[in-house]
Parts: sequence; C-alpha cells; structure tokens
Amino acid sequence: MTDATQGGPIRTKGKSILELDTRTKKRNAAEARFKGYGIAAICVSLFFLVSLLVTIVSNGVPAFTQTFVNLSVTLDEAKLDKNGNRNIDEIKKVSTFGYKPLINAALVSATDGIETELTDKDLDKILSASAGAVVRDHVIANPDMIGETVEFRLLTSSRVDGYMKGRVVREDLARDKNLDAAHLDLIDVMAERGAVQRTFNWDFIFGSDASESRPEQAGIGVSMLGSFFMMLVVLALALPIGVAASIYLEEFAPQNRFTDLIEVNISNLAAVPSIVFGILGLAVFIQFAHLPQSAPIVGGLTLTLMTLPTIVISTRASLKAVPPSIRDAALGVGASKMQAVFHHVLPLAMPGILTGTIIGLAQALGETAPLLLIGMVGYIATNYPEGVTSGFLDPNSAMPAQIYEWAKRADPAFYERAWGGIIVLLLFLLTMNLIAIILRRRFERRW
Amino acid sequence: MSNLMLVLIVLGLGAVGFVLGRSRAMSVAGGDRRKLHSLPVYYAAHVGLNTIVPALLLLFGWMIVQPMIINSSVSGMIPASAIEEGGNLSLLMSDVRRVAEGLDIAVTQGAMTVSEATNLSADADNVRDKLAAVGVALGSDVTTDTLHAAQRYRAMAATGNLWKSIVAIGAALIGMAVALRLTAVAFRARNVVERGILMVLIAAASIAVLTTLGIVLSLIFNTVEFFQLYPASDFFFSLSWNPSFSGRGGGSELGILPLLWGTLYISFIALLVAVPIGLFAAIYLSEYASNPVRSFAKPLLELLAGIPTIVYGLFALLTVGPMLVSVFGDNGALGVGWMQGGTAVMTAGLVMGIMLIPFVSSLSDDIINAVPQSMRDGSLGLGATHSETVRQVILPAALPGIVGAILLAASRAIGETMIVVLGAGAAARLSMNPFDAMTTVTAKIVSQLTGDSDFASPEALVAFALGITLFVITLGLNVIALFIVRKYREQYE
Amino acid sequence: MEDMIQMDRAMSTEQDIKISANGVQVYYGENHAIKDVNVEIQDKMVTAFIGPSGCGKSTFLRCINRMNDTIDICRVEGDIRIDGEDIYDARVDPVQLRAKVGMVFQKPNPFPKSIYDNVAYGPKIHGLARNKAELDEIVEKALRRGAIWDEVKDRLHAPGTGLSGGQQQRLCIARAVATEPEVLLMDEPCSALDPIATAQVEELIDELRQNYSVVIVTHSMQQAARVSQRTAFFHLGNLVEFGDTDKIFTNPEDPRTESYISGRIG
Repeated sequence: MTDATQGGPIRTKGKSILELDTRTKKRNAAEARFKGYGIAAICVSLFFLVSLLVTIVSNGVPAFTQTFVNLSVTLDEAKLDKNGNRNIDEIKKVSTFGYKPLINAALVSATDGIETELTDKDLDKILSASAGAVVRDHVIANPDMIGETVEFRLLTSSRVDGYMKGRVVREDLARDKNLDAAHLDLIDVMAERGAVQRTFNWDFIFGSDASESRPEQAGIGVSMLGSFFMMLVVLALALPIGVAASIYLEEFAPQNRFTDLIEVNISNLAAVPSIVFGILGLAVFIQFAHLPQSAPIVGGLTLTLMTLPTIVISTRASLKAVPPSIRDAALGVGASKMQAVFHHVLPLAMPGILTGTIIGLAQALGETAPLLLIGMVGYIATNYPEGVTSGFLDPNSAMPAQIYEWAKRADPAFYERAWGGIIVLLLFLLTMNLIAIILRRRFERRW
Repeated sequence: MSNLMLVLIVLGLGAVGFVLGRSRAMSVAGGDRRKLHSLPVYYAAHVGLNTIVPALLLLFGWMIVQPMIINSSVSGMIPASAIEEGGNLSLLMSDVRRVAEGLDIAVTQGAMTVSEATNLSADADNVRDKLAAVGVALGSDVTTDTLHAAQRYRAMAATGNLWKSIVAIGAALIGMAVALRLTAVAFRARNVVERGILMVLIAAASIAVLTTLGIVLSLIFNTVEFFQLYPASDFFFSLSWNPSFSGRGGGSELGILPLLWGTLYISFIALLVAVPIGLFAAIYLSEYASNPVRSFAKPLLELLAGIPTIVYGLFALLTVGPMLVSVFGDNGALGVGWMQGGTAVMTAGLVMGIMLIPFVSSLSDDIINAVPQSMRDGSLGLGATHSETVRQVILPAALPGIVGAILLAASRAIGETMIVVLGAGAAARLSMNPFDAMTTVTAKIVSQLTGDSDFASPEALVAFALGITLFVITLGLNVIALFIVRKYREQYE
Repeated sequence: MEDMIQMDRAMSTEQDIKISANGVQVYYGENHAIKDVNVEIQDKMVTAFIGPSGCGKSTFLRCINRMNDTIDICRVEGDIRIDGEDIYDARVDPVQLRAKVGMVFQKPNPFPKSIYDNVAYGPKIHGLARNKAELDEIVEKALRRGAIWDEVKDRLHAPGTGLSGGQQQRLCIARAVATEPEVLLMDEPCSALDPIATAQVEELIDELRQNYSVVIVTHSMQQAARVSQRTAFFHLGNLVEFGDTDKIFTNPEDPRTESYISGRIG
C-alpha cells in the first residue's frame, strides 16, 4: 500500500490472497466472537425456555395423580339412623362429624396388626377432611345401604399425598401439627398392602376449587367453565366488531382526521398494559353499569376490549393481502363496493381473520391481570354454574385467576395444583395455536 | 317484561318485517324481480333493519337513562340527616336498590303479595327478616326513609318498564310500517341498506375511540375524586408509601415515588437481560443462521412470547426466587447474604427479562430485515467481514428502529403486572439493592383494588391515580416508539 | 493529456492477464446458471459483459469477488485465478479477496452515514491509515478518483444519502476505490441513473482504466461500445463470444451474437 500514499498511478502487484495477513486473522477472530455471541444468545433463550418447561412439567404432573385409601366402612345403623325407619330427612340430620367415628373404626380395622405408637383417634389424620362428606353423600344417595359394609375410595390428606409423591419428607413434619412421622410409617405399610394407592385424578381436571385447608380436593374444572363462558363472550363480541371495524378502516374509510384518530387509537390500545383494561372494566362495567362482580360476562367484556386491537390488526393485514385485482374484477361486473367486499374480499380473507382471532382468543385466555381487578380472584369457585345464564352472570373464577389464587395460598400443596393448572392452561393454548397454524397452512394463499 | 324478552320480541318483529318486505317488493313488481331497482333481499333487509335498529337503539337508550332518572328522583327523597348518618349517598342508594330488589324477589317468589310489598311499613314489619327469608341479606335494619325510597323506586321502575316495552315495540312497528310504505319499484333499497351497513361498520370502528375515552374518563373522574381527598403534591412527591388498612382515610401515606422507583428498577433489570440477548438472537437469526436453524429456533423463541404472564409469575415466585436465594441468600452458595426472601427486584427483573426476549428479538428481526440487501452487499463488496457489516452498517442503519423496539419493550415491562405481583414483593422501598423486595405501580393497583368494592376511600381511589400515571407513561413511550419505527420504515420504503 | 500518454504506456507495457477463468460452472440449487465459462480478463482495460437479462453475466461477475458466497444455495465449480492465484482455494479469505477486487452495484447504495464516513469505511476496516491525517488524504484521493471531490468537498459530513443518484453512484465508486483494489467490478452501474449522470459515470470508468482492471456488466450495448476495450457476450449461461469490442460489434463470429447486436433477440 505504500504506493497509494505516493499517489502514483502505476502500482506493483498486490500481496498474495493465499496468505492471511495478521489483520485479517484478527478480524476473523472478531467475526467468530461476534457470531459466538449470537449463538450464545440463542442458546441462553432456549435454555430459559427449556428450564421453564421442565419446571412446569416436573412440578405440575404430580397434580394429575392423587393418593387414595381404600377403606371398608361399616355404615352403623345405630349411629346413622337411630329410629331405623330410613327417613331421609332424619338421616340428613347426621352431620359429617357424626360419620367420623365410623371412618375411624374402619381405619382401626384397616391398620390392624400394624405396629404404631399412634392412638386410634389420631389415625384419621391421614385422611382428607372431606372423607366424612364423601361417606355421608353416599349414604344420603343410597339410604338402603345403612347397616352394610361398603368399600370407599377416600382421599388422603395433602401431606400424605405429598409424601407419596416425594414432596413431603419426614423432616418436614417435625413442626407439623397435622401429621407425624408415625403416620408415614403407617402409610408405608398400607401402601405395601395395596390399601393406599396413587391413581390418575380426574377430579383435578373436572372438579371444583376447595377451601384453603383441603388442597387434595381442589380441581380446576369450574374455573375452566368460567374461562369458557368468558371466551364465548369474547368470541361473540370481538370477532364481529373487530371484523366490521377492520372492513371499514381498510375498505371504506376516507383519508381524514377521524380515520387517523381511530388508527392511532387502535395501535395505542394494542400496547396499553392489560391492568389498565382491568381498571376500565371495574369502573365502567361494575362501578357504572352495576354488572355483577366476578361474573364471566364482565371478564368477557373486559377481555373483548383488550383483544379487539389484536383482532383488528390481524384482520386488516389479511384484508390488505387480498390483491386489488379481485376488487376491480367484482366492481367491473357491476357489483357495488359493499358487494365486492362482502362477496369476494371477505371470504378470501377469512382464513387469515380466523387465525388472528384464535390467536387473540388464546391471548385473552391466558390473561390474568384484568381479572384480578374485576373480582375473579378471591372468589372460591366451588360450585358449577346451574345453567347458561348462571354461567354468564354468576360469580366464577377463570383458569389463570384460579392458578393465581392457588399460588397465593399458604399450603405448598396448592403450588402443585397451580403448576398442574398451568399445564391444563398451556394445553388449551397449544391446541388453539395449533389450530391457527393448521388453518394458516391449509388455506394460506400466495398472490 | 324483561329486557331480554323485549329484545327477542323486537328481533322477531324484524324477522316478520324481513318476510313482509320481500313479499311486498315482489308484489309491487308484479312478481317480476327484474323490474325492481335492487334484489328483493335488499327490500327485505331494508324493512327488517328499519324494524330492529331504531327500536333497539331506543331500548338501549332507555336502559341507560331510566336508572339515572329514577336514581336522581329517589335520592331527592332521602333526607340530609340520613345521609350524614349513613356515611354517604351512594351507600344509601345501594341499600335502597337492594331493598327494592329484595321486594321484587319476594313478590316473584310469592312470599309477599303485590299490595303487601307496596304497603310494607318499616316500623310494623321487620323488613330485614322478611327479605332474609327470601334470600336477600341486608347489612342493617331498614329505616322508614330507605323503605319509602325503595317503594318509590319500585313504583317508578314499574312504570318505566311498562313504557319502555310500549315504546320499543311501537318503534319497531312504526319502523316496519314506514319501510313497507317506502317499498316501491324505483326505491333504491340496496343503497339504503348499504348505507346502513356502513353506519354499523363506522360504529364498530368507533369502539376503539370509545374504549380509549372510557379508559381516560374512568381514570380521570376517580383520580379527581382521589385528589379531593388526598393532596396531589403528597402523591407525586412523598417518599413513602404506607397505606393504612384499618379504618377510612387518615394516616395513609400514598407517595408514588417508591413505587415508580421499584417499577423502573425492575424494568431496567428486565431490559438489561432482554435487550442484549434479544438483539443478538435477532442478529444471529437474520444474518447468520441457516434456514433449518432459523425455522427451528424462531418458533421456539416465539413460544416464550405465547406463554401467559401468570406462568412467568409462578416461575418467579416458586422457582427463580428460591434459586436466587440459594445463591445470594444468607446461607447461599456465595455466602454473601444479600437476599432475604425469594421475592426481589432481581427475581422479577430476571423473569420479566426472559419474557421480553422474544418481544425484543422479533421486533429487531423485522427491523434488521428491513435494512435493504444492497447495504449488506455494499459493505461485503468492500471486503468487510459479516460482523463488521452488522456492527458498522446494519445496526447504525437500524438504530432508530431498534430504539423504538426497546422503548416498546420498556413500556411492556412497566405495564407488566403478574410477574411483579408474584415475584417482586409487597414492600414499597427506595433501595439500591437489587436483591431487596420492592413493589411497583401495577402491583399496588392490584392490591389496592382487590377485595374492596367500595371506591370511596383514598386507599382505593389511589389506584386510579396510579393507573393514570401508568397509562400516561406507557402511552408516551408507545407514541414515541411508534413514531420512530414508522419514520424508520418510511426511510426504506 | 498526460494521463492519456501514461495510459497508452500502461496498455503497451502491461498487457498481462489479470483474471483467468477456466470451466466455471455455477448452480443455484437445481438451476445451472453458468455453463462452462472460460474467459481471460486483462489488466488496465475495461471488459464489458453483455447479454439479455438472466443470461448469467451478473452471476459470473459476482463469482469474481466471491459475493456469491453470501447466497446459501449457490455453488461454484471450476477455477478462477487472479494473478495466477485460485480465488476459490481453501486458504483464501473472501474478505481479503474483496479488498483486492472491489465492486460497484446496480443501485447506488451509500451507507446511511456521512460522505466522509462512506469513503473512509473501507480503509478503516482494512487498516489502511495509520492516523486521521492519512485517512483524510485517502478519502480525498478516492473522492478525486471518483470525480466527485469538487462537488462534495464542502459538505463531507453531510449524509451520503442526500446526494443525487449520479453523485451517489460516483460516491460508491470512490468508496470502492478507497480500499486500493486492483480490480473493479461494476454491475450495471448506470442502470438506475439518468443520461447525464450516466455520461459522467462512463467518463469516470474510462479514467479508472489507467489504474485498475475494470469489469463492467451492462445491458446497454451502446454503453459497452463506448467504455470497453474487450467485450464478452453471454447467452443462457454460456459465454458465446469474447473478443475486442470493435470486432464484436462490427464483425461478430457467432450468429447469436449477431442477432443480439442487431436487436433480433434479447
């Protein structure tokens, strides 16, 4: 390069390209480093993803199984039906507390021959507090069975369940007043005998939430219905309104200030934090319109407003993707603008619109923050709605709100439920997204 | 007649109108549809719409206006002394509504006759017990004033409902008649119907504006109310956040600064995680990765974006928090003892950073791809290495867009709720230690508004002031970011 | 005048082969884009590649500085030598090669930087200047060679994108020249320019000939006739005819060349 500085027009031959000079080596090292940062960034992100998924699965899967005790309970007539006339009203007078001695007696006979320092009275700590209610419900449904010995499958307490799943170890029980290490020894023997079993727990998927002291009983079914009713509201409102708004903006809107205002509004609404929509829902639907608190319809309305911008943006994109030649062709044979849009453009854009809608719904399904404000958290969803109207209007929870609720509770047994709930929620989201992907693959058109 | 019933009747009339409109059109054309200006279906739709739309609009208008009129008229009946006693008017009015509802239920269940309900007296009959018997629980005994107001309320509502039904059905019938009269061979039904549809489309598009308006108004009204109870200067400049939970008002310190500090600190850490990782991931995917790698890694990254925030919240609370404590906590691996509990700025910031990675990377990816190929060619043609091209040509060219993307990510981080509610802690604190628990604006909106359906105390109303602050900050960031990104796009279009 | 004399001397004394290509095949995936091309390009001379669009002339040009490496599906066979060294040899770093073989593109593509930074970019990355003063000197010299110095000397720190199309293209030429290449490849450098700008750039190409071996791809036969000394005619991936420009345009050997020249195909 020396001749360059001399400015002479004629140069000698340059150096060979077959040898790397030191500068190029250095530059190539920098290149490799830079590329390395990129790979590292990808790897770190994937590592986060994998550890997130592993955490979810490993913590959540146990929620789908539950430990039960098989117990033969003798339904003692003297205790349950003193008069012996099988009068259902009289049988109903015996509270769940009245069933306790029967269950205890059954436990004593079931643990017969096992060495234990526990008193007979303490034995029922291995059972869920719900055991009495289960037996009582059975008796009320079949009053003729009084006096017989019936085989029951009863939930164990969450501590025992945790022990069977390896979540609870003996050291944890040192300060626990609900269970002693001796109970666990008992359980070990009973499990060997096959009296204590861990099986798949349909009640977690279809059951209702339970009070704070019975994590073993809690299920996500009722809040799943709450989410379902909310999504119905969102679908019924957001899809037509979103499509109508997009058609107007994309096909009919003149270039003026009002149109600009709407456009700016939509792009900004898409980025407004979801919690602000919660405040809006609280102020407008509950404070102003006096709609019932915690009701899926309020949640649905709030989520509709939140999802609308997403749907509008994707619908406009798919309308835009339909080439103008289609419109020209329709107008050319004498269709009105409206006919051209509704007969030709909209059907062609439909797969894209549906894909966008499903993705918007999936987003709404997982959204939690607005639900906190309209009271869908803190409500314990223990009852199924009685019908469609009650499904919309009666207080309920929703899946993400239920998960949040469980995460806030003190008993770690609820954490397992929360993770399990996340698995259910993610399965729903995954299904919705898969449908969206399939729709897109199947009907995507390249112009 | 219930509102649902009315709506159904109006819709039914609409269907009748649709059929009538069609047959009328065919009959005026003498059975030859070619004589008509528009297709018969448009005449039918014209009659149907004319039947339904005005009636429903009237009905909805009535449903909004009637309670307002009744409220103002009934609230005039409540003497000022009762208002002082009962705390405030809105509480009393909700009592009145509850009693009125209770009476309605009692009548429909047959526990009371209509005349019993209207002639009930607060002194002679124990209204509270009677209502409790039909399942309406009241907080306190019913005073004479309340009972009278409730009876008046019922009477007015009954008259109002009767008129509502008459007006709605009448409007439907009149609409149908007018539309049927208009039906003629030369009548341009299609144009009229299409104009109607266009109106519907415009109305749908206006919902976006209404939503924004609703957000702004509900925030402003409640914030103004808050500032009447609590000085604005204290809210904006006080260094401490310490709401009293017992009793109404008094003794609460509601300064936003500690919350803002927590919000910004957490967002800063989140961006510290998300921006380098997201940006490098985007650079690698758009500049280096081969097709198979890209089509494998990109959807996986986007998977991170599709996971609901509640999942990240749980991840922070139950996994990342305890893990950080085991490293930085008192008996941690490093033995430094910086961290007292699992919830901390670091926990929330780290997890939020993970959440934001795909956000940053996909935005940056778009922006990097928008840089024209000719720039890359130009640089490579001069003998620059790929990384030199990226660092010295592509990134500077994409810088405005990337800044916009980072601002959008920042706005996301500031508005994020679930992660901080679960992962950041509840204590408002002005501390520099990232391992301390702190709290944010969004977390406090949640904690001040949940479990309290009464919005009269400053402790609850402060949430709206926090909300408006959050709204203004995120809106500002979004507007700037969108402006930058749009300007940037124009540059290469 | 002095330049002309020097140029003549250069032509007479250094009629050596700068680039030689033997049996070059290029594939884009399944598509066989260049079929067995042999060509020898001389130093200090302008060689033009002409042919109908899609004939492979740009593809071949991009092989000479290995720009095709950036396209994943592109595969090059055969050998191309510069000064007798195989540029597809495993030891060759394309980065070093491209410093030696500069390239100017179809559309002017100044970086979104100042005029000065545009030109200084190459020297900076290749480390050609020891200090700021030297860099200033290189930039000025390159801009002079790009025949644009007088127009921009007062606004060196204005953005390069603010120039007119013709100025942008001359800036890009100056940018390519600044790295002291030995060969300049130009891919239809005037196709995006108006006639006046085209004339300026053509004049510049003629001047560049005294220092560099210039290869220009053009779809304009007139331009090839005006600026080049040697011309290669490509058709459907084949090199149909290669020879002195005068001869190709007045007395082509191959009937396809003749048809193209006379406007019957293309």
